[in-house]
Amino acid sequence: MTYEIEQSQVLAMAEKRSGDGPAWLRDLRTKGLKIHREHGIPTPKNEEWKYTPLRDVARVDYTVAEGGPAVFDQDFGSLSGSPIRIVMVNGRFDRNLSEVPAQTGLIACSLRDAWIEHEELVQAHLGQVARIEEHTFAALNTALFDDGLFICFKDGAAVEHVIEVIHVSSGEEMVVVPRTLIVAGENASGKIVERYVTDGNSTCLTLPVTEVFTARYANIEHVRVQDEATTNFHIGLWEIKQVENSEYRSYNVAFGAKIGRLDQNIWLGGEHVVTRLDGVVVARGEQLLDNHTRLDHALPNCNSYEIYKQIIDDKATVVFNGKIFVHQDAQKTDAEQTNQALLLSPTATINSKPQLEIFADDVKCTHGATVGQLEEEPMFYLRSRGVTKDKAEAILVYAFAAEVLELISDDTVRDNLEKRLFDKLAIL
Amino acid sequence: MLEVKNLHAVVAEEEKQILRGINLTVKPGEVHAIMGPNGSGKSTFANVLAGRETYEVTDGSVTLDGADMLEMEVEDRAHAGVFMAFQYPVEIPGVSNTYFLRAALNAKRQANGEEELGSMEFMKFIREKIDLLKLPQDLLTRSVNEGFSGGEKKRNEIFQMAVLEPRLCVLDETDSGLDIDALKTVADGVNALRSPDRMFVVVTHYQRLLNYIVPDYVHILMGGKIVKSGDKSLALELEEKGYGWLEEEFAGATQ
Repeated sequence: MTYEIEQSQVLAMAEKRSGDGPAWLRDLRTKGLKIHREHGIPTPKNEEWKYTPLRDVARVDYTVAEGGPAVFDQDFGSLSGSPIRIVMVNGRFDRNLSEVPAQTGLIACSLRDAWIEHEELVQAHLGQVARIEEHTFAALNTALFDDGLFICFKDGAAVEHVIEVIHVSSGEEMVVVPRTLIVAGENASGKIVERYVTDGNSTCLTLPVTEVFTARYANIEHVRVQDEATTNFHIGLWEIKQVENSEYRSYNVAFGAKIGRLDQNIWLGGEHVVTRLDGVVVARGEQLLDNHTRLDHALPNCNSYEIYKQIIDDKATVVFNGKIFVHQDAQKTDAEQTNQALLLSPTATINSKPQLEIFADDVKCTHGATVGQLEEEPMFYLRSRGVTKDKAEAILVYAFAAEVLELISDDTVRDNLEKRLFDKLAIL
Repeated sequence: MLEVKNLHAVVAEEEKQILRGINLTVKPGEVHAIMGPNGSGKSTFANVLAGRETYEVTDGSVTLDGADMLEMEVEDRAHAGVFMAFQYPVEIPGVSNTYFLRAALNAKRQANGEEELGSMEFMKFIREKIDLLKLPQDLLTRSVNEGFSGGEKKRNEIFQMAVLEPRLCVLDETDSGLDIDALKTVADGVNALRSPDRMFVVVTHYQRLLNYIVPDYVHILMGGKIVKSGDKSLALELEEKGYGWLEEEFAGATQ
């Protein structure tokens, strides 16, 4: 079930880095390396990776990125217009490019600094939220990262500005392991935008891991945008643990990468938790974009809402696997899942698999998956007003996806993402 | 001028004959009402003018100011000045009315060799139209027809008509599903848009609408043909007698 190829340079670097950091971190790294050695790069015979062909990934003997360029040809801009803008280059916190004005109740710093200065907090959550034993690439990330980002909203903090994070991958045939840890204290509220981009047409294997912990009554909105060049590979894990009365709303926007795979897992580990996990995926050319989501309703009285919309053109392929586990104790669960795909070409492919496993008896779980093409009546309506056929198509496709983006509460982020979406579609 | 000659049309996939030789001439400034019982082909006629692809024209011609409309794509007809107010306006969630109208207006201007309007100019332009028709401002920010009542949808059609300033307005059963107040509002809008160089074809089942939009000519369509034409008094006669007497009279002609 694993490609028989030794990633010699990567493994050698992982060996070297396993001695980096305090004892608990060294143990974590050693565990990560062990898991990755056991599981390697999965083949399509592995059920969880059935539709994610990694042969091209397995073929390359990658090196591990150590830092990156200090300046870039392109301007990565800002989605939020926020004064807090953090730039991570090949996994490292770039002090020159980042701007983090002091905010009451906020810690936002390099993970390397954090595991020294905020050791207790970091130790309590890093590698504890993410189940690396179930994700070979997250395990490799854990063995390899030599820096990362730590964000903490302290108890009671209400951080007004969006925290915008730009993860840049730069280089050829390099493994990049961005690592982010976000801890939201009790009653804390905040908004985060994490965006993954590439420096030109990079051919990195970007393996990000983001862990989020939300304490009681915390309220967090988290937007993730994967907008890498279509030459890059991107395989990520995004794992969240919520405790009682916390609210976490997440939006996953996937536009880029040659192969882009993301596993998003949310553990609803307390009563009265509210969770959103929504997604917009646009795949064109020969892109393959795969999203696996998993929600665990562990305790009673929690609500989760999930809407995934996918637009697939040309010869692109999109995979959606949406798991919802309602555990035995999780009575009065209300879980809604919707997955809608729009196919714009006869050679576009969608593999959609909702997967609900319910072990409690007093619950409300709904799911619906639809696959379709553009409807004729709205097309005729727009054209009858003079909008050209191509533009009418772009408008309708845009509207299909914008329904999800409109749920984002920050006006600037929402508007900029809608513009980005429109630009991406207008050239269809 | 709109000239329709011997127009025949079928439902494209069924080859079912619906229009069987319509002849109609509409001059600038005129309002023509097309009336007829259910299934007479009046809505088909409106949609054929607008270019709906579910119908196929099998014979005859349609020209607008001399240009062959049947050769034109749907959007090209709109650029040439055709506008159909839909019987069932379509809801498009996620697209604001303002964005939609700007895209439509600028496409038309571009096609006619005019400069596109910038967003400031455009906003000024559509605010004027909103005021002219006495419509609520929130029409601009709402998604196209999403969650609109029947009356709001029809008012939005008239608003679009005002913005796009068509040469030929086709109203497809605009009165259907409207209460009397909504009907008046819509009719007031249409009347505000009447002008010496604009043509109207008003398709309706009931005479009621024609109390408010007073036509110059009334045509009765049966079995896909115009069987009788007259002035506005013909509509009143229909209101009184129904369609039954005509159906008997023209039973032979429509077979």
